[in-house]
Amino acid sequence: MAEVKQVTIWARGVTQDMEGRHLSLLVANSADKDGKFVQAWDDYADLPDRVGVPLRKYARISEEEIEMRYEYENKQPNVVIVMDDTIIKGMDILHGMPKGGVLVVNSKRSADDLLKFIPNKELLSSITVVDASGIAADVAVDFMGSEGGVEVAAVGKGISAPLAGAASKATGLLKLESVVAVAANKEGVKQGAEAAKVKKL
Amino acid sequence: MAKEVFYSGCAAAAYGAKFSRVEVISSYPIRPYTGIMMELSKLVANGDLDAEFVHGEGEHAQVSIAYGASAAGARAYTGSSGVGVTYAMECYSPAAGGRLPCQMAIADRALDPPGDFGSEHTDVMSARDQGWIMGWAETPQEVFDNTIMYYRIGEDPRVMLPQFCCQDGYFVSHIPGKVILPDQKAVDEYLPPYNNPHPLDPTRPVSHGPQIFPDQGPAIDLQRAQAFLDTPKVIAEAVKDFNKQFGRKYSPFVEEYMTDDADIAFFIMGGHARTARFAVNHLRKKGVKAGMVKLRFVRPWPTEAVAEALSKFKAVGTIETSTSYGGAMRGGNLIHEVRASLYDLPKRPAVTSFMAGLGGEVVTLNEFYEMAKILTEAAKSGKVKKGVYWLGFEPD
Repeated sequence: MAEVKQVTIWARGVTQDMEGRHLSLLVANSADKDGKFVQAWDDYADLPDRVGVPLRKYARISEEEIEMRYEYENKQPNVVIVMDDTIIKGMDILHGMPKGGVLVVNSKRSADDLLKFIPNKELLSSITVVDASGIAADVAVDFMGSEGGVEVAAVGKGISAPLAGAASKATGLLKLESVVAVAANKEGVKQGAEAAKVKKL
Repeated sequence: MAKEVFYSGCAAAAYGAKFSRVEVISSYPIRPYTGIMMELSKLVANGDLDAEFVHGEGEHAQVSIAYGASAAGARAYTGSSGVGVTYAMECYSPAAGGRLPCQMAIADRALDPPGDFGSEHTDVMSARDQGWIMGWAETPQEVFDNTIMYYRIGEDPRVMLPQFCCQDGYFVSHIPGKVILPDQKAVDEYLPPYNNPHPLDPTRPVSHGPQIFPDQGPAIDLQRAQAFLDTPKVIAEAVKDFNKQFGRKYSPFVEEYMTDDADIAFFIMGGHARTARFAVNHLRKKGVKAGMVKLRFVRPWPTEAVAEALSKFKAVGTIETSTSYGGAMRGGNLIHEVRASLYDLPKRPAVTSFMAGLGGEVVTLNEFYEMAKILTEAAKSGKVKKGVYWLGFEPD
């Protein structure tokens, strides 16, 4: 059984539901493009969401078919991406992370500033900060894709694009050109990768 | 041109209905099936599907609308989950007894209490004896395909029965998988328009659902029972034609995986069959001769196909994702029918059952390995120690 890489995304309810899901899709779709077996899905218990509640979106990437496709959560996330830095303060975002994990945060703050709020930061091998909200414009929220619906909006128009670019730089798990290929906002992906500051820990 | 998409089971069901050219849709929200109606309402609002979209004031109304539409000659589609399925219970027999072949999509959800969004088959299994065709899909693709196949089966003049087209909530309904959408033309060739021979029509008045005298009851019930005797033949034809038209490889009633030389087998339906397949692969590598038999139809129960598939094993374990409290085997439902199917055989496997996946619990590979241990022991001794195992929750 090949190792399954687990990517967990934290977003805010309703306002970031779509972009959060799009980010999980960008991760999965770009890895799919590279010939990997993938899965992207919403946390079942977090939906239906309410405004501002912390939401989890997930992706899995594997060299072989993903056998435990039905596990509700990513219990051992290798990569955690946080779409709103205030979530860090309230949630144990690294819960279950095996040592050597990667954290990517959408923030205007510095990495050191953010690390102050992460009690279990020894699990991290790096923290990457990118001001994704400064790169991509806000996108109107639509609910078309929630609860198993088909996405109507093009995937990766808003902050999911620069965050996927930053995740590509931070993890080496995703090829930047593959992320660019599957995202609607291609410039946003590239800018996110360029602007992302990776700090090794 | 056929195209490949990445759809959840909900979206796959909605598109199955769209490709079936459903004419009346009745909805009422409940997780997890809600996604199906969300998707259909989009398709209707955008003009991609020409159908009446009706909001019921509850599931009882929903199913009444669906079979009413079917009585008027429209291809009707509805759906529900969990307590929604049981709330509509009164309407199932009139639909089946009226021989009105509407379809109800089910994305399973555990019944209350306590409140639970997780998948468990008990909701619609409670309605299995109401005269509806019923079966489970393992993947979003199978959901899509079954939706079309079920209309073809249910609307066949030899059948004329409503259908529960079921999928596991969350596992199948909410996790996207690859789905091949065929050409509409190919579906139109496969699925002719619905023809109700005696539709409700003010210009040609007919009576539907009249009161009868008690001694008229048995004859009418016998007709319904007879329809179920004729249905397997229609299913076999419909599945064969579907495979030919769309290049699939479905078995009509039971699908076998690595069973040729197997000593033990998992008997399972729905989404967890996917994990069972991986479990079989790993068990084989460890030298355990395991196989899997996946059930595609619960109603009509494929007695002969089940007997034939299972008779070659030494021990069989049914994976019970529904409850039959106080039933003959003290656990689930499938084992009752499996044992009854095998009863007349001269040589029968030992059969036990495993309560697994209740309340939406994930049935893990390790759980299948535990089952394999119990089945291997039963295969050696030729008998089972117990008729039901609550794995991981066993009272000692």
